[in-house]
Amino acid sequence: MKFMGYRRPDGRVGVRNYLAIIPSVFCANKTVEKIAAQIPGSVPLRHPVGCAQVGLDLELTARTLKAMGTHPNVGAVLVVGLGCERFPPRELYEAVIASGKPAEVLVIQEEGGTTNTITRGVELGKKLMEQVNAMQREPCDVSELIIATKCGGTDATSGLAANPVVGNMVDRIVAEGGSGILSELNELLGTEKMLMKRAVSPEVAEKVRDSIYEIEDLLQSSLDNSLGAKRNELISPGNFAGGVSSVVEKALGGVHKSGTSPIVDVLPYATAPEKGKHGLFLMDYESHDGEVVTGMIGCGAQIVAFTTGRGNPTGHPLAPVIKVTGNYKTYQSMKENFDFDASPVISEARPVEELGAELFDMVLRVANYEHTTAEQIGGDELFCIGRRHGYHKKDPAELLACHES
Amino acid sequence: MLRKSMMIDPRDSVAMVLEDSQKGDVIRTPRGEITLLEDVEFAHKVAVEPLKKGQPVIKYQEEIGYMLEDAPAGTWIHNHNMGCDRGKVRGAKI
Repeated sequence: MKFMGYRRPDGRVGVRNYLAIIPSVFCANKTVEKIAAQIPGSVPLRHPVGCAQVGLDLELTARTLKAMGTHPNVGAVLVVGLGCERFPPRELYEAVIASGKPAEVLVIQEEGGTTNTITRGVELGKKLMEQVNAMQREPCDVSELIIATKCGGTDATSGLAANPVVGNMVDRIVAEGGSGILSELNELLGTEKMLMKRAVSPEVAEKVRDSIYEIEDLLQSSLDNSLGAKRNELISPGNFAGGVSSVVEKALGGVHKSGTSPIVDVLPYATAPEKGKHGLFLMDYESHDGEVVTGMIGCGAQIVAFTTGRGNPTGHPLAPVIKVTGNYKTYQSMKENFDFDASPVISEARPVEELGAELFDMVLRVANYEHTTAEQIGGDELFCIGRRHGYHKKDPAELLACHES
Repeated sequence: MLRKSMMIDPRDSVAMVLEDSQKGDVIRTPRGEITLLEDVEFAHKVAVEPLKKGQPVIKYQEEIGYMLEDAPAGTWIHNHNMGCDRGKVRGAKI
């Protein structure tokens, strides 16, 4: 099965064709914004990091920004750095060049300030944009698609309707040779045994269990601190109001969005699967909407399927986000923020398979050309870079002792 | 008044109401007719059997928490009367 996509020099396939203007540190945000404002069709990737980070935290920033620059939905990149930051702007530039895409880099301290950098940035950006505009869509196989799955603003309808419909769509993508990603491991507590059974090998099963236990350990470490004693709920007030009573109930509903396919591997944050590996992946990260979506896009996902019972207006600057709800009231009250209504699974007892097939068709339309509601609004809130402060990975045996004692 | 409801699995110990419902309303479940003992909002859960303090609550044929108190059939089951220690207490099974 084919769709019309952009084939990139590294062989990957995009569904959008952006000029990304990326600050290597937050200090370059305004400069980047002002350059982007003068180049229609370019996308500024504002973020708050790149300064005074160390170790894994800095590595996640570097990895994520490189993953955005080399992402198949991006045709070309302009990097803007300050000059003294810990993540060198030229490291980002070189990663993009190595992927075969056109790129340029500017450093504010070398250009002589904001105004000079903007002037030069607009000049370089317009030239890059000409190259981007010359890129053409061509028939690409559905097996090239990677769909990220996410719940945000879950209620009790999500586990009944929206997540099973997304899961059915993901099964159809995987059946065509494509891939899906499940993550939000803190919201998979209680499903680890069923996910382990779905792993393709005992080694992958252990990776599934260890990554979920590690996130549980991280949660428990946070709650050990008495400063957090009044903030120890693992699900949100909106989840409770929507009829979800525990993190495990949320997990048992949430896991449906991964469908029924075998789990082929566990991916680190913002890390592409091994070349040639397709199917359902688990990405090792927790459930901050923006950070986890950016991480899955960093793994190469070109499209996001986002379920929400409570309603959610957010989008990502680099990838279309398809909003799906199982709640008929939310759909009626926030129609402008939704792409797909899965509530007939509950209200009309329509089979999940039927709606899954309709959602699959929508994914292909979005891959081809159709803009999602979040794209129409210009939603870009979901671009957030994952963080990891001062957590030291435990030995798997130590994790097991904590959780299965 | 008869209200729409559903059970994900007939062996579960809770049903979900599919419309905002009031005390005294009735839901028809695979486990028989249950009279609601209190108001229950859309998508929230109702016990379809008497539940004892400490007993696991079953939905999706899995344990989603444990009862903090005894509750007769028809009780609204939520975080006020159901606990779950996963992610909070080391070694917690549920």
